[in-house]
Amino acid sequence: MSILWRLLTKYRRAVILAVALVMAFLLMTLQVRHDRAVVSFTRQAVLFLMSPVIKVTAVTVGSVSRVWGDYVDLRNLREESLRLTREAAVLQRRISHLEEQALETQRLQGLLAMKEFSRAEFLAARVVGKDATNWFKTVLIDRGSLAGIRRNLPVVAPDGLVGRVVEVTPTAAKVQLITDPVSAAGGLIQRTRVTGIVSGSLGSGLKVRYLPLMADIVIGDEVVTSGMGGVFPKGIPLGRVIAAERRSGALFQEATLAPKVDLSRLEEVLILMGTESRDGFETGGVRQP
Amino acid sequence: MRVFLLSLLACAAAQTVLLDPLSVGGVRPDCFLLLVLCSSPRVRPELATIQGFCIGLCQDALSGGPLGLKAFTYSLLGFLTALLSHDLFTDKPLAQFWLLLVGAASAGALSFLLLSFFMGLAPLLPALWVIVPETLYTAVVGFLLLRLPWVRATLARAT
Repeated sequence: MSILWRLLTKYRRAVILAVALVMAFLLMTLQVRHDRAVVSFTRQAVLFLMSPVIKVTAVTVGSVSRVWGDYVDLRNLREESLRLTREAAVLQRRISHLEEQALETQRLQGLLAMKEFSRAEFLAARVVGKDATNWFKTVLIDRGSLAGIRRNLPVVAPDGLVGRVVEVTPTAAKVQLITDPVSAAGGLIQRTRVTGIVSGSLGSGLKVRYLPLMADIVIGDEVVTSGMGGVFPKGIPLGRVIAAERRSGALFQEATLAPKVDLSRLEEVLILMGTESRDGFETGGVRQP
Repeated sequence: MRVFLLSLLACAAAQTVLLDPLSVGGVRPDCFLLLVLCSSPRVRPELATIQGFCIGLCQDALSGGPLGLKAFTYSLLGFLTALLSHDLFTDKPLAQFWLLLVGAASAGALSFLLLSFFMGLAPLLPALWVIVPETLYTAVVGFLLLRLPWVRATLARAT
């Protein structure tokens, strides 16, 4: 025993490095093998500890940027006469406030319209953080299991699909965006009813893969979710075709999409809580039975 | 220890919230990587390994990637940086920039290799569109940060 201890002490650097690397390797292996218990626990524990800090930072940054915006406005107006400055400052503040309110109302009206359009139940949430790496595309929202959120619930915005919930803590949840390289959703070309797999890719937006070679795909075609796979309801807008590619010798053709939702400027999202309405989102074209 | 934990929390907040406006083409500097590269030369290799593991685990938990990806990368990077710190430690700005560049590039390459091994994720070319800008951006931001007196003072205090 003492020999083992002496050896461990002597080679402690190598031992600690080996333990750390093996632990990291094991975590990755467990995830690949879909053995999620340990991984999920670790992830949720870290998220649970970190999310309050992130939320507080997001709120603080929002407040500071509003104050900073007011300050910059005031600085510009000081160039005018004192009377005009006072008047303009008041008006400017009022306008900024109203504009902010109008924009928020517009966004919320969009969300509300979508909510009323569908029979499904929605829950609104604010985006409080972005992915911590440049490799993946996820966002952190300010609602968690206490609000009824659970894994794999679809997340939408007024313009279309945002992604799905992949991790939940009591007060926050992580949403995998559709542009994430490991995200995939069943897609349907609205005009021709051809189905494919819509997936994200590193740095190059959305792709529709596994489209039949003879399928008629033209630039501008709208793509919606196909409802296959059981995660996303049918008919949620995904994007518009901006390029289609047929490689010689390939079994399928591939199309590149411009996402419907500007995922870099997400502020509020809706989580689709109920699953009873699986056909209520289609924005145009023929609705399939 | 307290400085390290506070830095880790600050990094998490910065990476997920504060750095978003600085994003160029969707790429942001990697604060967690900078924390590894800046803190490791000042501690023993075994502590640098543990610190790297914790930093990586936090970044993994806050990202959509597999848990363990960055933990593996930063454990190794922290260990090597601490082990070679006597040979690498320098106050010359240009040398610091090159070291940051090499460190960031190594981390990017290792992450890519691990992702390819575990997930068969991406061909090299699209991955380079992430690795190269991230490396350059991180190295530039790290270089600028190391010019700030209070960052130097904090790092010296953490020694």
